[in-house]
Amino acid sequence: MDEVLQQVAKLITEVVGPDFLLGVEITRDTTFSDDLGLESIEFVALADKLNAHYGVDLVAFLADMDIDEIMAMSVGRLVDHITARV
Amino acid sequence: MSRFLFVVPPLTGHVNPTASVGGELLARGHDVAWVGHPGTLEPLLPDDARIFPAIDDLLEADIRAKRERWLALRGMAVLKFFWEEFLIPLGHAMVPGVSDAVARFGPDVVVADQQALAGPVVARDAGLPWATSASTSAELVNPLRTMPKVDAWVRDLLHDFAGGDIRFSDRLVLVYSSAALVAGEFGEEVAFVGPALSHRAERVDFPWDWLVQRDARLVLISLGTLNGPAGERFLSQALEAVGGLDLRAVVVGEPRPAPPNVLVLPSVPQLALMPHLDAVITHGGHNTVCEALAHGLPLVVAPIRDDQPTVAAQVVDAGAGVRLTYSRARAADIRSALESVLDEPEYAAAAGRVRASFLAAGGATAAADRLEKVVAG
Repeated sequence: MDEVLQQVAKLITEVVGPDFLLGVEITRDTTFSDDLGLESIEFVALADKLNAHYGVDLVAFLADMDIDEIMAMSVGRLVDHITARV
Repeated sequence: MSRFLFVVPPLTGHVNPTASVGGELLARGHDVAWVGHPGTLEPLLPDDARIFPAIDDLLEADIRAKRERWLALRGMAVLKFFWEEFLIPLGHAMVPGVSDAVARFGPDVVVADQQALAGPVVARDAGLPWATSASTSAELVNPLRTMPKVDAWVRDLLHDFAGGDIRFSDRLVLVYSSAALVAGEFGEEVAFVGPALSHRAERVDFPWDWLVQRDARLVLISLGTLNGPAGERFLSQALEAVGGLDLRAVVVGEPRPAPPNVLVLPSVPQLALMPHLDAVITHGGHNTVCEALAHGLPLVVAPIRDDQPTVAAQVVDAGAGVRLTYSRARAADIRSALESVLDEPEYAAAAGRVRASFLAAGGATAAADRLEKVVAG
């Protein structure tokens, strides 16, 4: 398993709480909106963790996307963005 | 005396502030009318209110059916559906009825709810001044500012519909909140009048005997329309949370098994209940939050969608409550949040400061003053 993917999955689990991911395996195809149902405050918490861990600015990454891209935003796309940056 | 026409969508939370402001204008001897869905408006407006139809029962049922589908969505899909499937089509659908109401009533000023897009379009075509009734303060701080492409998409939709951003009148924007909750610099046209609560009709019964039976703290749990399985989950956790506490709770919701210290009712006279309460657990609807704060009540807020995260952040920033995660908060989290706001006096003190700012803002009286100035030019 990709190291960045593993780390991002760990950070998401920390934000959401392990109880709520029972039976949900975080893969590259997992979407933030539909699959994880990340709430706005959780998004902020994840952004803080990504910034601390990778120096990646999640808000700036999203700022470049249109509404359909944000709806389809997947863990894999975030992992690729991080991999390209670090 | 002048003539004021309120244009409103078929949503209780959007009608309520106009019921108060319109009631104040009526008390001053002005002529006032509303245009929207008569079946939604009648229970909320004064007995003698003049109502013009712009939404028939068929369309209203269609809107409710759409709402059911919308409640199942998550994340950015909520916003896309809201604009493309709800707000813009509703705007188009209401134009003929609003035009007819303007022709028949002959208003001096049109007061359009921020989600009744037909109002500004019809007013402009008729050469009438129009004001905005912003039933939430969230649009003022633009929650989409960090997503410029999404923000531009909303503006494009508005431009296609109306040729401009008609969410805000350049004459008057009535905001039912205060600077104690909403940070920022705003133009002269933005009037923070605080919640408009006077002249409101509440035609729902309540078993008042239940309140005087025992001396215990009282909590209201009001989550708006339940949001599918996530709503059921949160409510069952909330019932478990209050079940073990030495207090009583009124829950707004469909009948369901509940602990003996909990009363579940499909609807309550919320304003009349407020003076009896010690705290409110809510999803963060702007009206419920501001009504609670107007009574100095601390809050537990579990926002779901739309403006609710913004409103929840306002409450937390003001120090008047605790925020929970709607889709994941457990009974223990809810119980601990509720105990905090009830037992730690800072929360009630902060809610009291917001209450003072609301009183200073003037409510429906201040809103009516500002509307009279629009007529004067």
